[in-house]
Amino acid sequence: MLESVIPWLLAGFIAVLLAGMLRRIRLWRAGQPEKVDLVAGLMAMPRRYLVDLHHVVERDKVMSNTHVATAGGFVASMILIILVHGFGLDSTILAWALLATTAMMFVGATFVYRRRVNPPSRLSKGPWMRLPKSLLTFAATFFIVTLPAAGVLPEGFGSGVLAFILLAGIVAGLGEMLFGMGWAGPMKHAFAGALHLAFHRRSERFGGGRSTGLKLLDLDISKGQTLGVAKPADFKWNQLLGFDACVQCGRCEAMCPAFAAGQPLNPKKLIQDMVVGLAGGTDAKYAGSPYPGKDVGNATGSPVEVITEGLVSQETLWSCTTCRACVEECPMMIEHVDAIVDMRRFLTLEQGSTPGKGSETLQNLIATDNPNGNDPQARGWWAADQNIPLMSEKKEADVLFWVSDGAFDMRSQRILRSFVKILKAANVDFAFLGDEERDCGDVARRLGDDATFQSLAKRNIATLSQYKFKRIVTTDPHAFHCLKNEYPDLMEDSGLLKNGWEVLHHTRLINELVAEGKIQLDALTSAGTVTYHDPCYLGRYNGEYDAPRDVLKAMGIELAEMERSGFRSRCCGGGGAAPITDIPGERRIADMRMDDIRETGADLVAVGCQQCTAMLEGVVEPRPEVQDIAEIVAAQLVEIEQPSESIAKEVA
Amino acid sequence: MSDLIRKDPRKDWILRNRLHPLHEQVAAEMNGPAAEVRGPSGLIRRNPHAVGFIGPNGIKRIDRLGGSAAAAAGAKREQKEEQLPIIAIDAPQAYVAVVVDMPNGELSAHDKDVLGQARALADAAEDTAVLAVVFGPVKAALGTEANPDHPLGLAGVDRVVVFDSEAYQGFAPEQQLEAMLAVERTLEPAQWLFPDTHLSGNDRALRLAARLGERPIMHAWQIKNGKVTSRGGSELTDITRELASARILALASECAMPVDEARYEARVIASPAVPDVLTRIKDAGAVAVDPNQISLGEAEFILSAGNGIHDWDQFHEAARVLGATEGASRVAVDDGFMPRFRQVGATGTWVTARVYIAVGISGAVQHLQGIGSCEKVIAINTDAGCDMVKRADLSVIGDSQEILAALMAKVQADGAADGDEGKHDVA
Amino acid sequence: MMLHSKLSSNPAKNYTVATLVSVGKHPKSGRPRRSDQDSKALELALNMDNRSVHVIHAGDSSDPLRQSVLREYLGMGLERIDVTRQNANSDAVPALVERLKMLQADVVLTGSRAESGEGSGMVPYLIAQALGWPMVPAAVEVTAAGDGEFEILQALPRGQRRLLKVRAPFVASVDSAAAESRQTAWASGQRGQLQEMAIGSNPDEVMSQVTVEPARKRPKRIASAKKAKTAADRFKAATAKSASKGGAILVKESAEEKAQVIYDLLVSQGVINKKK
Repeated sequence: MLESVIPWLLAGFIAVLLAGMLRRIRLWRAGQPEKVDLVAGLMAMPRRYLVDLHHVVERDKVMSNTHVATAGGFVASMILIILVHGFGLDSTILAWALLATTAMMFVGATFVYRRRVNPPSRLSKGPWMRLPKSLLTFAATFFIVTLPAAGVLPEGFGSGVLAFILLAGIVAGLGEMLFGMGWAGPMKHAFAGALHLAFHRRSERFGGGRSTGLKLLDLDISKGQTLGVAKPADFKWNQLLGFDACVQCGRCEAMCPAFAAGQPLNPKKLIQDMVVGLAGGTDAKYAGSPYPGKDVGNATGSPVEVITEGLVSQETLWSCTTCRACVEECPMMIEHVDAIVDMRRFLTLEQGSTPGKGSETLQNLIATDNPNGNDPQARGWWAADQNIPLMSEKKEADVLFWVSDGAFDMRSQRILRSFVKILKAANVDFAFLGDEERDCGDVARRLGDDATFQSLAKRNIATLSQYKFKRIVTTDPHAFHCLKNEYPDLMEDSGLLKNGWEVLHHTRLINELVAEGKIQLDALTSAGTVTYHDPCYLGRYNGEYDAPRDVLKAMGIELAEMERSGFRSRCCGGGGAAPITDIPGERRIADMRMDDIRETGADLVAVGCQQCTAMLEGVVEPRPEVQDIAEIVAAQLVEIEQPSESIAKEVA
Repeated sequence: MSDLIRKDPRKDWILRNRLHPLHEQVAAEMNGPAAEVRGPSGLIRRNPHAVGFIGPNGIKRIDRLGGSAAAAAGAKREQKEEQLPIIAIDAPQAYVAVVVDMPNGELSAHDKDVLGQARALADAAEDTAVLAVVFGPVKAALGTEANPDHPLGLAGVDRVVVFDSEAYQGFAPEQQLEAMLAVERTLEPAQWLFPDTHLSGNDRALRLAARLGERPIMHAWQIKNGKVTSRGGSELTDITRELASARILALASECAMPVDEARYEARVIASPAVPDVLTRIKDAGAVAVDPNQISLGEAEFILSAGNGIHDWDQFHEAARVLGATEGASRVAVDDGFMPRFRQVGATGTWVTARVYIAVGISGAVQHLQGIGSCEKVIAINTDAGCDMVKRADLSVIGDSQEILAALMAKVQADGAADGDEGKHDVA
Repeated sequence: MMLHSKLSSNPAKNYTVATLVSVGKHPKSGRPRRSDQDSKALELALNMDNRSVHVIHAGDSSDPLRQSVLREYLGMGLERIDVTRQNANSDAVPALVERLKMLQADVVLTGSRAESGEGSGMVPYLIAQALGWPMVPAAVEVTAAGDGEFEILQALPRGQRRLLKVRAPFVASVDSAAAESRQTAWASGQRGQLQEMAIGSNPDEVMSQVTVEPARKRPKRIASAKKAKTAADRFKAATAKSASKGGAILVKESAEEKAQVIYDLLVSQGVINKKK
């Protein structure tokens, strides 16, 4: 009896699944068009899943294996079920194979179940607590149902009461797996996730690449479009698809510095709210951690309603430090930061509601090319006694020193002077722009003002294109990131070719100079325990984890690494214009980071970013000393006798 | 005895003979202090030997300062005795009018500077007098005759017109304009000078200029060689214009030196008849403003708290008693003791207070940047080595709680609290 | 502040508020920007109840940089700005007066002092004179009190305030102490309209005869240096300054003595008044 019902059940559920999928696809298509090579994406998808995604998932070994068993078991089982039970292929081999796959899935599902016995707070509850039971039901039921086909049990087994129990199991299992997949159950992630991998907006991220620069905003408003994202339908269609891929594992939440500081942001909830927005409805069914200080259940939205009017509060969007910890952690490769900046763009460019000192900062950037409204003619003052050649006089140099806005800040000037000392000691042929430099646009861009960013960037590019140089070096990772990853989008019609310049962070250059023997460093023995704080815009944004560590090693320093270092480094709280928007929380991010540092017992924390330096030094004393790597290196320089001519030749 | 000059041949002889043992004595006696003698031909002859005097320990001292050094000790006493000359202009043919601010009935330093400039302009012309136009009561009473020792006379005023009836009190720009017009009709001043002060001099100058159809020079800071230099918008430019082309000038403080070498009559002249105007702008009086409502950027007196404050109730109380606006360091704000808009510094508000008291603030670079334009900084701190102490004009090392308590007691004892006073007569 | 409690008894009445805006100049960079006081005036107008706001600019708006500044005003949420195009170096007042007469405005709000050019602050006074209206300087709040009467909070130095009452129509200039202006939204600024109007321009003859140079630093007055008649006095006057400067540090004195020193300084600076 069962055998005759199953094909119909299967057909029915698959039909429902397909209907659900089509509806879901229609929801995504409400988003804005974005050019994606669909075929190539689909072709690349298995590799992206098995290799790139696996790298991220494998950070949690147990969960990785669990998923392989469960998901692999399910996919294989499903195909075999269709063959064996759907088409009724009478093959013992297939039946045995199906037994094996369902058994594998069952084992995987038990691990899923075990994890859900005492789940960590970052995991969402609700339907996700049901999922392991459904998985077990599915695997067990089909295992039993397949036994006759494999010849283990006689045909006709399973009648009467047992048949009804099995039937119930089949309906429950298929319901969760197929109906749920199409109709927003937890299994939706499999379907949306797979397509998200195929049609990802940043395909460069796969195959070991890196793609962190924000996307350029088209400022043309002649066709009446709004700038930035006001409503869920203003996202690109593949961004909407990405939101649907979320598995609510909460790894982002565990890493988010704003969440830990009690600011009203939780990346997981934000993505779920986007899902609510794209499908319409309320967040009442959300069963994870809320935004700190905000109750769940009050958010409503639809694809055509403004997000910040009822779905997500503005403070949530401004709490983000754009540190990318969530993106780095996300096993579904969701781009939280892109989404947040897209929505910020709307708030700033269309509504003019940047909080805190945002408005003032943007006005200053427009009128003085620096965020604090300093006299642009005073930008070069810090170097008055440094005797650095000006690019406008020299026209050509090996290295262009990009100073950044640290030029106006007395603390950062110490870093700049130290670095200049190193460059001079190594006889590097360098020059700087002096008053011709402008803010790189980082702050404006993170505040959502892409108009000001583009204006600054274009003028900087025009200035740079007047001169000849091989490399740009900067002590500011934010400028480093902008120049390296975000300016190229605007450089197509300038004289500078994309590969015409190389942008370096100063730690990389110092490391090179040390390796080439251009500078010699004394061992640093008096500093006590030293640890290193990875700046987000250097590490996660640009993958530069080694150069700073190598430089420190060259001074005989053995780092006491923090638990959260490298790609898991915690933000100092100074990125994404967070100190400007200044959303209150329960703690300060910088204080939490200093606690991380204190845990290592460090007396000195080495940093590679003036913003991090400022934030960490803002922590009340007593605390470990904070120094930029340039400062540490400059203090350990050994004078070496070098005939300067030969060096000059060598560099040239 | 007799006015006849008698010659003593012996003394003459001794005087001529420089080797005579009595020569010094006689020379001193004959020539006295005059080291200069009129010689027989009428020329002045200087006797180098008579220069100087014998000091207390018998050493000859030569005073090349013309005696002023010797007088320095008694300078104060002497100055009192030294009467500045009175300069009177009996029949002025023209006037340079100065509408003085006189807040609280006394000349401000700015008023005196403008009067100094007016004096210079008046002295450059024939028979021109400085006319002070005063609105509101004058604190020191003016007599009916000349008042050379009145602050107005000492500041270089020849004539005074006082409008002190009720109608000129408070903010009464329309009535005051009518009075200035009356002066304009009767005395026809060659020039009108105003101190360029917010809401008083500035407003009056602009009103008068608009009514008379004159093009004024505002924000002028230098008058030299017949040209006036004034600050343009945003303080970015200097605009130089012919003095002759402007009758109405609003002058910045320190535009000229105040008068200090003579006294003037400050004679009160009868104020011209002023018609009562229809008052369209009604002054409904000062609004009580809590010092804590004043924005930090505007505040003139800030009591700022940092990490070193432990008794916050006492701090707020101290701010209230002193009538100071509250400020805070970043740490105090981050710790939630003070709201964000109270944060002083490069990352908070840049303040321009006249007096800034930093209590328990060690002085991070950003904070010091933010108080860069404060005139007087007072640090109260337990650490004498902190950066705030290096910046401060006055540092007090010790427990802030005790010192604030003592300061409050002091202020309350003198009844000098500013907070409840509220009213400041500015016009 | 306290004015909202006394709100209009006749709220239905609509007022026309004309706000005059100019192209400002950043005090540090000297670049064109939204003038601080003008944008505060506009903010004040936008916050008034039952009003229709007209924004007027008279000036040379051919320069794209200056136009982008006008767009910053538009970005405060305006649909359009009336631009009466004037030649560079012309007297904008006649054109403004003509425009205001056409508008039949009840309230005219301006900044107190232009950020570029002469910045004498004459414009509101000249307009008031030409229209025969009262002119209220240094406003920080304007509230309709009903029946054509308005309450104006005026900024006095040291953050003090004074309440004035005046009947419409009137001109008011807005003080820097007024509430910060709202942020400008770039996109809505681009969408707004700059509506050009042709009104003849009058050349400013006085300004064409002056010399304009970058501001020089004003010399600091050295106390009593002039008074000195002898070299010794001059020397003393010049050296006395450094002696009085430099922070005194009190460590050992009692708390009362320390408080006394602070108190004396406060009194000498005039921030607290000694009553005697």
